[in-house]
Amino acid sequence: MRIIVPLKLVPDLVEELEVDDSGRALDTEYVKFKLNEFDDHALEEALLLKDSAGAEVTAMAVVTEDADKLLFTALAKGADSAIKLTGGEPKDSHQLARMFANAIASQGFDLVMTGVQSVDDRDGQLGPILATYLGIPCISVVTGVQISGNSVTINKEYSGGVMAEFEVDTPAVLGIQAARQTPRYAPVSKIRQIQQTTSIETVAAGDLGSGAGSEISHMSRPEKGQGAKMLNSVDELLEVLKQVGLV
Amino acid sequence: MLTPLEQIAFIVLVVVCLGLGYRGFSRIIQVVRSGGKTEPFDHLVRRFINALIDVGLQKPVFKARPIVSIFHAFIFFGFSFYILVNISDLLAAYVADWNTIGGGPVAGVFNLLADIFSILVLVGMIFFLIRRFVAKPDVLKYNPNVKLYPGVSAGGIRRDSLIVGTFILLHVGSRWLGTVFHLAASGHTDPWLPTASLMAGVFSGLSHDALSIGMHVSWWLAMGLIFLFIPYFPRSKHLHLMVAPINLALGRETPRGVMGPVEDVTSPGAVTLSDLPWPQILDAYACIMCNRCQEVCPAHQSGTSLSPAALEINKRYFLNDNAKYLVKGGEQPSLLTYAISEDAVWACTTCYACVKVCPVGNEPMMDIIELRRQLVFDGRIPDELAEVLRGLDEKGNSFGESARKRSRWTRDLYFEIKDAAQEPVQYLWYVGDFASYNQDCQETSRKVARVLHAAGVDFGILMKGEKSTGNDVRRIGEEGLFEALAEDNLKTLADGQFEEIFTTDSHTFNALKNEYPRLGGDFTVKHYSTFILQLVKSGQIQLKKKLNIRATFHDPCYLGRYNGIYDDPREIMELCGVSIVEMPRNKENSFCCGAGGGQIYMKEHPDLTQRPSENRIEEAVALDAVGYFTVACPKDLTLYADAVKTSGNKDKLVVRDIIDYVLEAMALPEPAPAAAKA
Repeated sequence: MRIIVPLKLVPDLVEELEVDDSGRALDTEYVKFKLNEFDDHALEEALLLKDSAGAEVTAMAVVTEDADKLLFTALAKGADSAIKLTGGEPKDSHQLARMFANAIASQGFDLVMTGVQSVDDRDGQLGPILATYLGIPCISVVTGVQISGNSVTINKEYSGGVMAEFEVDTPAVLGIQAARQTPRYAPVSKIRQIQQTTSIETVAAGDLGSGAGSEISHMSRPEKGQGAKMLNSVDELLEVLKQVGLV
Repeated sequence: MLTPLEQIAFIVLVVVCLGLGYRGFSRIIQVVRSGGKTEPFDHLVRRFINALIDVGLQKPVFKARPIVSIFHAFIFFGFSFYILVNISDLLAAYVADWNTIGGGPVAGVFNLLADIFSILVLVGMIFFLIRRFVAKPDVLKYNPNVKLYPGVSAGGIRRDSLIVGTFILLHVGSRWLGTVFHLAASGHTDPWLPTASLMAGVFSGLSHDALSIGMHVSWWLAMGLIFLFIPYFPRSKHLHLMVAPINLALGRETPRGVMGPVEDVTSPGAVTLSDLPWPQILDAYACIMCNRCQEVCPAHQSGTSLSPAALEINKRYFLNDNAKYLVKGGEQPSLLTYAISEDAVWACTTCYACVKVCPVGNEPMMDIIELRRQLVFDGRIPDELAEVLRGLDEKGNSFGESARKRSRWTRDLYFEIKDAAQEPVQYLWYVGDFASYNQDCQETSRKVARVLHAAGVDFGILMKGEKSTGNDVRRIGEEGLFEALAEDNLKTLADGQFEEIFTTDSHTFNALKNEYPRLGGDFTVKHYSTFILQLVKSGQIQLKKKLNIRATFHDPCYLGRYNGIYDDPREIMELCGVSIVEMPRNKENSFCCGAGGGQIYMKEHPDLTQRPSENRIEEAVALDAVGYFTVACPKDLTLYADAVKTSGNKDKLVVRDIIDYVLEAMALPEPAPAAAKA
């Protein structure tokens, strides 16, 4: 079983985020980036499959300033190989999916496991679009994966805590909500060691396509509300409703 | 003198017993040699001379438990003198007319000492047997969750103690009785043998033949037992009398705050016993199983599964059972399966109390750090610790906060602090994570800044360029992250222009002072207590008011026990008019707050009975009319402020930093709101 895990860097939310001068994007000049938390879970679930059923795990990321460290960390955690995609700057999840699809199509694989969403755009689209480009099935909000021969058994979470179990033929794309256990820690000494002994394969991005066709027209901080007023009785509520003319 | 038959029988006994004992001793040497490398030892002659002097004066033993130590001294001095007694008795067995009784004054003094020491050894030994088998003090018991090797939980230590105790009683008692029989046979007493003479009358009615048999039997019991005991010796804790002086001579001479390097970066730390540096294997043979280390261990006292004593004892019992397989290169199980549990490895606060108190120079704490190094390398660490380490790696602080917020605490000051990364300063203040990010500690940091500003000191901080020094990261076992942090910090420091560094954080102080020089960072580094004291003495800080209060002082482990600074913070307090009331556990014996070695980042152990910080607060509350608990480490401020509340002592004790006293004693005018920073 070969598993490819596309990884994405997102702004670290502990930083103070600011909108840039264009008013349409984050000012990324001083922002620190970190691995999207859901992608970390996707990698963990893939590595758990490797530990339990014996899979070959490849981590993949678009080349950026911190991508090397990201990929070396994945290798230190137990991924078998790492690929970075060069020559493209995807502007949305469609282009990112196209970029990953180009690279993944050229590799043999059984599963693509990615985070169900990322904290930057909250699209939750990368998995489904990737599956569309690759022409294979996709399941999102996955909380557990088990390999049985050529198919995989998937646990998917619905609203209200309802769980479903799916049998999916491979190849398939899985959007991981949470791994069965907390993502493992990669010791820095191991990362440093791997940095010296292992190399990251480079693959060209290829054609990114035209993207989603939608554009961000305006970006701003949420406006501060007036604050809530706590009511203590039905009478008070009626009073308020009368004031606004609803009763 | 022995009969010729007895003389031959004794020689046969000696040869057989030495032959049987040889294997045990040579195995010990082979097992110790199987251990990992260590930094080479120099000045061996000086080391051994010093160790023998210390042992001779019983200094390592008297570090704790003074009463027990007196009885130990009885046995120690008695046994030391008994080397001469045994030689004399051997000569008496083989050399015709060799007899010290009734000899000249030299023989007389010899007899007197032998007589007195015999009684002292017997008294000492009876004391220890009563202590172990009748009094059964709690210090000899382990928390129920401590991992014990099967031989230990089956009562191996009691059995060993009984065997050793019986041997000593029989060996010394028989020798003394032999003298009694001798006097009874000669029909008169000897002023050089006061206690034997007292007893001689009891046996005076016996026939000469009976007394002669008595003398022969007692000689055999005294001398024969020594050699009968030799094959058992390598298995017994009594071996400490040979290994302890060696272990003390080979003790670490590098500063306490420097950790040993990782020997093999592809597999750091230790999984098995032989992965430990060889002196740490020797520790198991030196251990006398007194549990002093456990008694001072904050983790054991708070109910966790960590016992540094059990760790050494388990190692020893494992070796007793398996040394013969190990020396053949047999596969070894992980230390975690028999010596210490994984949760116990994560319970250590690295306070160094166990190492400091050990009478035989053992370093159980170092084993724990070696085990941590390997666990970290395998990614086997508590989740919450992983989270903190990730934050330290990504952002350079243990709070997982943005590096840009590091200097935010300075905003509420009415003056600007210089950015030492941008402009030259005389003193570089290394603030540390806690003092920068923790809200309570930020207030203390501002007080330090106010004091220095008012005194006109030229100082600055590194703002967002400062990262955690990684002192605790290294003690968690994350060697790679420690190196990465140190490299970044050393680069930042190399770019700064300053004369000296001072720091408000004792953990940071330890790393900068002891660990960084080995990585190329050679700076003059002072703890703020030393720095402020100098400023007070030079008159740059003027103390105008005497506070006239009574307070106690808590020595932080990394300032006191690790770096030997006890007086500077106390002197500051006194200069401020604070009269110091010491807690029973002070200075070298200070009790850890429980936060070090990564504990502050981890969940509490599920078996926790009482937090070390609460234990400490109770100690302070018991003092007479002390209203203030003084700290000199930012972590302590938050921990003890909590502990005062959770232990229900909010009305009795106020936690203050030494800088609180200084600021108050300076009697500075409060800055008017209008004077706030422009």
